[in-house]
Amino acid sequence: MSAGIIDIDYVKYACTCGLLKTLQQLYFCRYCSELRCSFCVSHEVDSHFCGKCCENLPSPEARVKKNRCVNCFICPSCHHELSTRIASKQPATPEEAKATKRTYYLSCLCCRWSSRDIGLPDQTSATGSWPKRKTFMQDKEFFKRKQKEKIISYTDKTGITAASLRKRIGLPEDKPILKLKNAVKMVTPSIAQEDIDDFDEEVLTKSINLLEITSIDQRLLQPDVQPVEMNMIFPVQKMLSIKRSLRCRSCEHNVSKPEYNPNSIKFKIQLFAFYHIPEIRIVTVQPLRAGVPAELLIKFTNPTQHQTTISFLPFDTPIEIKESTAEVGGSKGEDDTSDLDKSLPLMKVIPSGAKVMALVDSHLNMSRSSARMVTPRPLDVSINCDVEIPSSTFILPPRDDAAEYDDFNEAHNIQDDKKLVIWRKSNKAFIKLIVTPKEDTSIGTVITAGFTMSHLYTNTITSVAENKKPQKFNHNIKLILDLGKSVGSE
Amino acid sequence: MELQDVYYDKSDYVETASGNKVCRRTVLCGSQNIILQGKVIVQAEAIIRGDLANVRTGRYCIISKEAVIRPPYKKFSKGVAFFPLNMGDHVYIGEKSVVSAAVIGNYVYIGKNCVIGRRCELKDCCVIEDNTILSPETVVPPFSRYGGSPGVQVGNLPEVQADIMVDYTRSYYQHFQPHKNPL
Amino acid sequence: MPLYEVEKSVIVLDIGTSFTKFGFTSEPAPRSIYRTQVKSKGQIRELWDYRDAQDLYDMLVDFFHDIYFKYALNSPKDKPIVIVESLLCPIIFRETLAKVLYKHYGVSSILLLSSHLVSLAPLAIDTALVLDVGYKEAVCIPVCYGMPMIHAWQALNLGSQTIHKHLQMLLNEKNSGAQNLSEMTLEDIKVRCCFVTKKSRAQQLQTLKPQIEMCPEIKYPVKGSTTISVCGTTREKAYEILFDEDADHLCLPTMILDALMKVNIDLKHQLAENIVLIGGTTMAMGFKSRLKEELLCHSKEERYKKLNIKCFKFHTSPSKENYAAWLGGAIYGSTDCLNTKAIQRRNILKKRNYLIGRI
Repeated sequence: MSAGIIDIDYVKYACTCGLLKTLQQLYFCRYCSELRCSFCVSHEVDSHFCGKCCENLPSPEARVKKNRCVNCFICPSCHHELSTRIASKQPATPEEAKATKRTYYLSCLCCRWSSRDIGLPDQTSATGSWPKRKTFMQDKEFFKRKQKEKIISYTDKTGITAASLRKRIGLPEDKPILKLKNAVKMVTPSIAQEDIDDFDEEVLTKSINLLEITSIDQRLLQPDVQPVEMNMIFPVQKMLSIKRSLRCRSCEHNVSKPEYNPNSIKFKIQLFAFYHIPEIRIVTVQPLRAGVPAELLIKFTNPTQHQTTISFLPFDTPIEIKESTAEVGGSKGEDDTSDLDKSLPLMKVIPSGAKVMALVDSHLNMSRSSARMVTPRPLDVSINCDVEIPSSTFILPPRDDAAEYDDFNEAHNIQDDKKLVIWRKSNKAFIKLIVTPKEDTSIGTVITAGFTMSHLYTNTITSVAENKKPQKFNHNIKLILDLGKSVGSE
Repeated sequence: MELQDVYYDKSDYVETASGNKVCRRTVLCGSQNIILQGKVIVQAEAIIRGDLANVRTGRYCIISKEAVIRPPYKKFSKGVAFFPLNMGDHVYIGEKSVVSAAVIGNYVYIGKNCVIGRRCELKDCCVIEDNTILSPETVVPPFSRYGGSPGVQVGNLPEVQADIMVDYTRSYYQHFQPHKNPL
Repeated sequence: MPLYEVEKSVIVLDIGTSFTKFGFTSEPAPRSIYRTQVKSKGQIRELWDYRDAQDLYDMLVDFFHDIYFKYALNSPKDKPIVIVESLLCPIIFRETLAKVLYKHYGVSSILLLSSHLVSLAPLAIDTALVLDVGYKEAVCIPVCYGMPMIHAWQALNLGSQTIHKHLQMLLNEKNSGAQNLSEMTLEDIKVRCCFVTKKSRAQQLQTLKPQIEMCPEIKYPVKGSTTISVCGTTREKAYEILFDEDADHLCLPTMILDALMKVNIDLKHQLAENIVLIGGTTMAMGFKSRLKEELLCHSKEERYKKLNIKCFKFHTSPSKENYAAWLGGAIYGSTDCLNTKAIQRRNILKKRNYLIGRI
């Protein structure tokens, strides 16, 4: 298993929204006490940064710069990042060396393209001063756009003056403003031409060097110009990346908020399921044969600071989704009525539609977020293996970081069902389950088993606020285990 | 999946006071320039070129079989200079990978048969998939997954990647045990 | 430039079958043009190859996630968005799109614009015959005084996809090892080697022994080691499929003529003298002049006699044709239309048929 770290997806947890995810991909909203995944939280842009120079840009500045880094460029030929190189031209005389400054050029270390290939002169400073491509935008088009905008008094509305716009769109300064104003007033529609000559006779005789013609990806990297020949391509500023913060859709609390620094991997808010929900890993499984019971050894790890009790329930145990209202402020309405899908037929049924609609509308305004709640979907999984659900439960002690450095097997005085718990150490326990693939499974099918885990969760969030004892309750999660392929009879 | 025990021949490995386990069949050039912070595993036939420049690893690093750690060089008008290679904690380097990065952050996973071009910067929490070729001077930002040849970003990593790597390298170290009954 | 001068930028999107055009309002060109693909569960899928509504919903969620967090770098919540789409967009796509945007991303309003109509905005005209040749199909809709003449629409399965298939066939004839080239490779060969030839040459090419001098052959490298030869005839004939009449005697030029047949007699001449070509396929070299040649030729046929049109005129777009519709969307989106004509999120519950009302 070379990619041990990359694909640990033998055990999947069912998120509240009905998608199957690994524990690492899940979040746990402590306020709703529910699992959340990237699909059912709302994403927000937290900060902008450049992935190459790792520099932070405030959001307004990023917007002005069109979400592109000022200093970093990507190769117009192969889309890799360009490196700045010092020109290694030796000065002829010592005097010349003093007079001439160092010059720099851009070079791609992946495809060997360099800014000299298109005749871009070397620059005297390493960053920033790279010449911008001349805007190839035809003046004509701009005037038309402005006309259109003028008609609907767009300029007046936003307070943008013609001069500032001109500057913004990069029109030359030296053009008299008068001309622009005139152009704005008179609409010059495009005139259709009868003579079209977009056929170049040369193509019939000239042999083509494929290396001189750009590919479609190279063209589309510069959408405004879409150069056809290689000598027309131009370094492109690198797109910025973002850090995201995630928010629970039902209670509007953040479940993940990263730190501002692009290099930091720490989080200000980190409600990851990995820190709250017991982790399950498959240790061993006996060869699986249709209809024959096999032993399955799984390892449970308690990541929390509180002792927990784990019990097993059948896979099809219904899991009620708690109303997110009671614990948190109570400002949110029931999800059912404000849900878009369901409310539509509702209006049809009730005759006095107008009143209901007003009600729904006000309701919607009140709880805007719950309208965006993700409707839970049925689990998309087919279970072809029965799990013998043990009746006994077992205890997992809290996590103890110091125990990691303790090499001795510490004595524990936990009374275990020896049939269930095979071995335990600190917050981990190895559990034996009996699984039986269904009779009709043919050889080579992937065996999927499932059960519902109920674990005692200690929620400390309310105790801090109201000085109460930590809230304890059982939290049920459906688990799907991929046990590998079935084998033939002995 | 839970990691299985990996057994090694006790006579084959040297274990230092700080818990480093280094195979005797490795090539450690310029060993005075190589600093292993502790609990580092260097497996058979790995090559660390300390003779070129300093190589420094963090704690819980795993350097797999036949991996090559080679400090990066930079060309100057007067010649070539080598720069030290610094590695963070909890780094895994897969089999037969050649690493010439300038910086490797914490919690980095490099798959097998990778080539990390010279002067690459691998930030904290990143994964390089198996058989990836990173062109020189590539910067891999945090929480990104690179793959392919030439290596490009192919995905993102979960926010708990640091904990996954801590868990992985620690349990790798714990499961890396000498044979119970040597022949 | 002071920061406060930056007005609220609104995303403009044109989701094509092959390429998506993405940018902001009041900008002259899209920020990026990229393939309409979604990476789901480790594999890359075409957005338009959806299985059912649920599948499409999931893909669109991923698709817009990329748009907002990879390209726009903007939070979607409570912001408007402009979508340029074809009038012939399937209901299921439009409804799922609205659901994803309103429900999943919570946008404040969506301005849906018809691609044929808005592509006239950069030209500042309001009457034209718009022919959109994209990846899957070619759609021709006349627009008169700002109103698309839906009853006269014409559509044929002619687009890049057809050309790619045709090109594969042509390459197979000449190369034994050219079987099963990927669509990307075929597209690259098409873009870099092929062109639309003149009618006179096309007629010669159809004969057994063409009396013309062939254009030079190109060796195209595949996978580094092997090359396939793209010979002169292949280069010229790749696009011919657009102009060859099919079993029903239909082809690209007849679409335009058929559309003209269906509009009011007073408008026929005006439309014929205002033809606008949009879509990436129309960017091929020689496409326009060939289309004109074909139009003149076909209009002399018996079935089009009563049109009595002798002159066809074409508009030259200020932009590249592949983002002409996007540019129109960017212009519309920067006007008051965004506030008055967009479908507000708070209103959608009041209207069951919320997606029918648009400009």
